[in-house]
Amino acid sequence: MEPLLDTTNLPPLPAPFWFIEFFKVLGFSLHAIPMNLWYAGILVALGLAACGSEHGRRFAARLMLQMPVIVALGINFGIVPLLFLQLAYARAFYPATILMAWFWLAVVVLLVPAYYGVYLYAFGLGKEGAAMTPLKRAAGWLSAVFFVWIGFTFANGLSLTTRVERWRAIWLEHNLDGAATGWGLNLSDPSLWPRWLLMFGLALVTTAAWMVVDAAWLAPRESRQYKRWAQDFALRLGLVGAAWAAVAGTWYVFGTWPPEVFQAMFRSPQVILTLLTAASPWAVGGLLWLWRRGDISRGQAAAVGAGQVGTLALNAIGRQVVQNLEVRPLVDALPEPAVQWGPMAMFLLALVAGALAVAWILIQIIGVKASPEAAP
Amino acid sequence: MHYPWWHVPQLTAPMLIAAIATIHVLVAHYAVGGGLFLAVETAYAYRAKDRQYLDYLYRHTRWFVLLTVAFGAITGVGIWWTIGLASPLATEVLIRTFVFGWATEYVFFVIEILSAFAFYYYWGRLPEKTHVAIGRIYAFSAWMSLVLITGITAFMLYPGKAWLADRGFWTGFFNPQFLPQTIARTGGALLLTSLYVYFHASLAIKDRRLQELIARRSARPALLGAILVTAGGLGWYAFLPESARAALDSAAVLTVLTVLIFALTILVFVLLYAGPYRNPGWLSPGFAGTLMLFGVAAFSTGEFIREAVRKPYVIYNVVLGSQIFPEEVSTLRNEGFLEGGLWTRAFVHQYAREHELDLIQGGRVDLRRLVARSDGESMKHRRALGGVLFQYHCNDCHALERGYSAVAPLIRGRSRDAILWTIRHLDEGHFFMPPWSGTDDEAELLADYLQGIAPPRPAGMYPETRS
Repeated sequence: MEPLLDTTNLPPLPAPFWFIEFFKVLGFSLHAIPMNLWYAGILVALGLAACGSEHGRRFAARLMLQMPVIVALGINFGIVPLLFLQLAYARAFYPATILMAWFWLAVVVLLVPAYYGVYLYAFGLGKEGAAMTPLKRAAGWLSAVFFVWIGFTFANGLSLTTRVERWRAIWLEHNLDGAATGWGLNLSDPSLWPRWLLMFGLALVTTAAWMVVDAAWLAPRESRQYKRWAQDFALRLGLVGAAWAAVAGTWYVFGTWPPEVFQAMFRSPQVILTLLTAASPWAVGGLLWLWRRGDISRGQAAAVGAGQVGTLALNAIGRQVVQNLEVRPLVDALPEPAVQWGPMAMFLLALVAGALAVAWILIQIIGVKASPEAAP
Repeated sequence: MHYPWWHVPQLTAPMLIAAIATIHVLVAHYAVGGGLFLAVETAYAYRAKDRQYLDYLYRHTRWFVLLTVAFGAITGVGIWWTIGLASPLATEVLIRTFVFGWATEYVFFVIEILSAFAFYYYWGRLPEKTHVAIGRIYAFSAWMSLVLITGITAFMLYPGKAWLADRGFWTGFFNPQFLPQTIARTGGALLLTSLYVYFHASLAIKDRRLQELIARRSARPALLGAILVTAGGLGWYAFLPESARAALDSAAVLTVLTVLIFALTILVFVLLYAGPYRNPGWLSPGFAGTLMLFGVAAFSTGEFIREAVRKPYVIYNVVLGSQIFPEEVSTLRNEGFLEGGLWTRAFVHQYAREHELDLIQGGRVDLRRLVARSDGESMKHRRALGGVLFQYHCNDCHALERGYSAVAPLIRGRSRDAILWTIRHLDEGHFFMPPWSGTDDEAELLADYLQGIAPPRPAGMYPETRS
C-alpha cells in the first residue's frame, strides 16, 4: 500500500531531540495539573454542589471560584507540549488532525463557552451563593460536558497521530476527491477508550490532591471541620481515582499496546518506568491513608501535592516513550539537528526571567487577601 | 507534498484562518493597548488620589480580564489551531524556523495571565506601587507578545533576501516588514484601545467630569496611535515585495479597500482631534460607538489587505498556496502533481484499483492511456482525477461552484481550450496565481473537470458571442 507518512528528507530540527522531548514532557506535566482539575474537578464540584454536605458545597464553591484562573493557566500551559509536538512530529500530527479537522477545530470553538460557563457559574457564587440562578448552574454543567468532550477529542487526535495504519480507512471514508472532509474520528482504535478513561482516573486523583493542598495552604479561614472533611473526602476520591486509573491503565497496556511497544516497555530499563507509572496513582491515596488518623499538616499536604505532580510527570514521560515507539520510523529518520543556539538562549533567558517575574508576583500576593469586591 | 488537503465547502480552509484571525486581532490589540492604558491610568489615579477614577478603572479591568484573558487567548490559540489544519506545510516551516520565538511568546503569555489576575483580584489590597508595577509587567509582557508574533507574521509577507540565503531565525525574524508592522500594530493597539475605552466609558459613566477626564487623557495616545498606524502602514507599503505592491494596483477590490483604509484612518484621526481632544464633552455612546466602528472597520480592512497581497504565496517565495515549495514546481511538471504528493498518489492508486483502470506504470501514476481515451466512461474518470487536482492545486484559494472566489463563475462560458490555456499559463494570466505545477496530461484532466462545472455564458447579452 502507498505510504501516507513520509519520513524521507526530514528537515533538521532547530534543537536537539532530547531538548524538545524535555520541554514537551515538562509542558504536558504542567498542563496536566490544571487540565485534570477542569476535566474531573468541575464534575466533582458540581456533583457536591448538587448533592453534597455543607462542607462538600463549600469545596465546590472554592474550586469553582478558582476555576477561571485554573482554566487560563491550563490553556496556556497546554500550548508548550503542542508546540513541540508539532515541531518534532509534524508529519504525523498534521495528517491525523486534518482527518478529523472539524472535531479538532471544535476544540477551540467549545473552549469559549466552556471557559465563560465557568465564569458564569463563578458569578453565581457571589453573595455567598445567593446570586446562583438555574442559567448559571446550567452553564457550569455545560462547561463540564464541553471539557469532557474536548478531552475526548484530544484522545482521538493524539491516538490517531501514532496510529498511521488507521489513516487510510478514515480518509477513504471521509474524503471528497481525495481531500479530507474532516469528519473522521479514531473510534475504532481500541486504545482510544482506555487512554481517555485513564486520563479521567488521573484527573480524579489530581482533584483529590488539590482538595488537600487547597485546604492546607489556601484556606486559612476555613474551619477545622471543613479541612477534616476535605482530607477524608480526598482519601476516598483519591482511592476511587487510582482504582479507575488502574483499570483503564491495565486495559490500555495489556489490551491495546502493539507487541513491539509491549515488549519494549517491559524490558529493562523501561520496565522500571512502566511499573512506577502504574503504581504512582496510588501515591495520593496511600499517603492520605497513612495520615488518616490526624489532621494533615501543611508539609504533609505539600507531599500529597508533590506526589500527584510526580504521578502526572511519570505518566507524561511514559506516554512520550510509548509515542516515540509508536512513530519510530519518523523518530529514527530525523537527521542531525541544526541547532539555533541564539534563539534557544533567548528562550531560556526569557524562561528564567519569566519565572522570576512570576515568583515576584506570587510573593507580592501571598498573604494578601483578595479583594472582597473582586468577583470572578 | 506530505499532507492531505482539508476541503471546507464554500469558504475554503484558509478563510477559516482569516475569520478567526480577524476576530482575534480586534481583541488582541486591545489586550496590548488596554494593558498600557490600565497601568498608566491607575498610576495617574493613585497620584491624583482620584477614587472615582480608580473605581471606574477597577470596573474596566474586570471587563478587560474577562475579554482578553479568555476570549483573546482562545482566539489566538484558535489561529494556531487552524493554520495547522488549513496550511500544514507553511505551519511546519514557520514552527521549524521560529519555534523559539513562539516558545518565548508563551513565556510572556503566562506572565500576562498571572499579572492580569493579580492586578484585578488584588485591587485595593496591594500597595499602590506594587499594584502599578504589576500593571506595568502586564503591559510590557503583552507588548512583547505583540512584537514576537509580528516578526513571524511579517516574515510570511516578506522573509527578505537574506533569509532565503541562510534560513536562520534572526534574519527571518528581523525581516523587512518587521519594523513597519510592529510600529503599525503598536499604534493600532493604542488607537483601538482608546476607541474601546471611549465607548465603554460613554456607556458606563454618567459623571461628566470623569467622562471628560477619560476623553482628554486617552486622546493623546489615540492620536499617537493613529500616527503610528499611518507611519507603519506607509512603511509596510514601502517594504512590500514588488508582487504585493502590484496586487494592490491590480485587484480592484484591494485598490478600493486600500483607499477605504486610508480614508477611515484619516476620518478617525479628524474625529479624534475634533472630538475627545478638543471637545471632551462630545463623548456620547453614539459618537464613541461610531468612532469605534470606524476604527474596527479600518483594522479589519487592513488585515484583509495584508493577507490578500501575499498571493500566490502563504510564505513569500517559500511556500505556495498550493502547499508546495516553489522549487518543486519544475519537478512536478515533469513527474506529475498527482505522483508528487503522498496523498494524491495514494488516491490515484486506490482509484485505479477500485475502477480497474490502467493508471499506474512501474508503480508511478501514468495518465497517458486515460487522456488518450475520449469515451463517456473515461470522461467520468478524467473528471474524477481532475477533481483531485482541483482540491490539492486550487481549493486553497477557490471554492468550487459557489463561495469564496468560486472558480465556476470565474470560468463561466469559457471554452475547453480557453480553460486549458488558463491552466497551463496560470501565473502568466494573473501574476498572483501560482504556476501550474502538473503535467500536460494533468492539465487536460483538470480542464475536463472545470468544464464540467462551468456554467454557460449568461444569456441575453449583446453582442452575442459564440461560446
